[in-house]
Amino acid sequence: MVLPVWWRKRIPRYRFVGALCKDCGRIHYPPRNACPYCGSRNLELVPLPRRGVLESYSIVYSVPGDNRLNAPLPIGLIRLENGVRVVAELTDVVPEKLENGIEVEAVIRRIGEDGETGTILYGVKFRPALGRK
Amino acid sequence: MAYITSVGLVRVNRNYHKSPRDLAFEAASKALEDVKLDTIDYVIVASSLTYLQASQFDLAAYIARELGVHVKSAFTVEAGENSGLAGAEVALNLIRSHAAERVLLVGVDKLTEYISNRTYKMIQAIYDTESDAVYNVGHAGPMALLMRLYMDRYGVDRETLAHWPVMMHAHGKENPYAMLRFAVTPDKVVNAMPIAEPITLLDAYPIGDGAAAVLLSSDDQGGDHLARLTEVYSSIGFQSIALRDDPLSIEAVGQIAREAGLSPDSIDVAEIHDSFTITGILLLEELGFAPRGKAAELVAEGAFTKGGSGPLVNASGGLKARGHPKGATGVYMLAEVAMQLAGTFPGVKADSPRKGIAVGVNAHGSSARLAFLEAL
Repeated sequence: MVLPVWWRKRIPRYRFVGALCKDCGRIHYPPRNACPYCGSRNLELVPLPRRGVLESYSIVYSVPGDNRLNAPLPIGLIRLENGVRVVAELTDVVPEKLENGIEVEAVIRRIGEDGETGTILYGVKFRPALGRK
Repeated sequence: MAYITSVGLVRVNRNYHKSPRDLAFEAASKALEDVKLDTIDYVIVASSLTYLQASQFDLAAYIARELGVHVKSAFTVEAGENSGLAGAEVALNLIRSHAAERVLLVGVDKLTEYISNRTYKMIQAIYDTESDAVYNVGHAGPMALLMRLYMDRYGVDRETLAHWPVMMHAHGKENPYAMLRFAVTPDKVVNAMPIAEPITLLDAYPIGDGAAAVLLSSDDQGGDHLARLTEVYSSIGFQSIALRDDPLSIEAVGQIAREAGLSPDSIDVAEIHDSFTITGILLLEELGFAPRGKAAELVAEGAFTKGGSGPLVNASGGLKARGHPKGATGVYMLAEVAMQLAGTFPGVKADSPRKGIAVGVNAHGSSARLAFLEAL
């Protein structure tokens, strides 16, 4: 990952915000320049709920070179409380205990580091939800 | 409409001793055996990885020179895994608009110039780099999420899904251009090394190099042809599986199938994109060849092999067994369907087929293309 690429996306990735389309009312993540559903540019950044349900998951073994030391990687398809879906890495999980339908919550975690500068890159991962809402 | 006049294929393999230009030269030379080179107007090269693997821009011009053809124009078409059929779309439109009488379409890609985990990084670029590919999890992760969701929703077990690669290997075994020419059992598929659970090594396409060439001609050109390319339908889809109302819907494929008025009963032979078992299964359902949740069962019953109740699907062995040299794959599909319609396919043959289709997508459907072919 090249540093400026990560830096440009720091707001949605570090604060976990999506974009609300003021024309069709749908929310998507990460925010894009036009609404993927209706094409409107009339968008507003909105914070996303931190909790959701794990709809699907995988333990990935064929991991590319610069992330290889972290393999195997658990990833998930998460449906947030407001219905918005996110594909993200999972953390703090025991692979054997993962199952579709468990509650998960968003946390900030180290995603990797920039190969040239060594800068640590953070972003949202999901872990099994702790305690009450 | 355009005629498919001739085709040339290289066996997909780890062709370490051949460069992308060598592979393109070999495929194109076979397609051009009986053709006067000065009748070709355009060379279109379909490729998605050559810049990364061979550090070469303006590939089509270099390949045209390598072939020794002096054409009006040469350019490269890139649409990820869907590059081959994108090239066919451009070629067909050049001929229909009378900008060209003859177009040579060459698909070529090399995946073995670097070690595998570096190649995984390159082929991960089929996914949206701003969403599904952010976490750097390679080429199989998002598809694995879809596979588990599918199994969960429809109650389809792992072993039933294994019948897709079993059928692909049974077909690929008979195809001299296939990379993997051996049979597998459901048990072997389920217990193979995991790539991204529940996807195993035998659910995934092999990493191999290849090139395929198709010569397309207008109806003003005399001589013999193999088949007619009547239409290429095209559509774009959502960037991420997370954006879909139903993550299991590859809506770009459904959309072109509806637009084209595709009637599964009218199709005799099909080559479809099956980068992973789940991709093939979802495409069968999206095309209307199987009801939702039932494709794997129909595959296990033999519906899509020779003598089955449906069309003959992926007689080549598909991406799974023939192999998947990315940008070249759509050109392989086109050549294979044309040979089926001409009765010259060198593997499992359909019984006097009249109509065929080739269906390609990039990733899980950032774009989709559906090519219709007819026997002469």
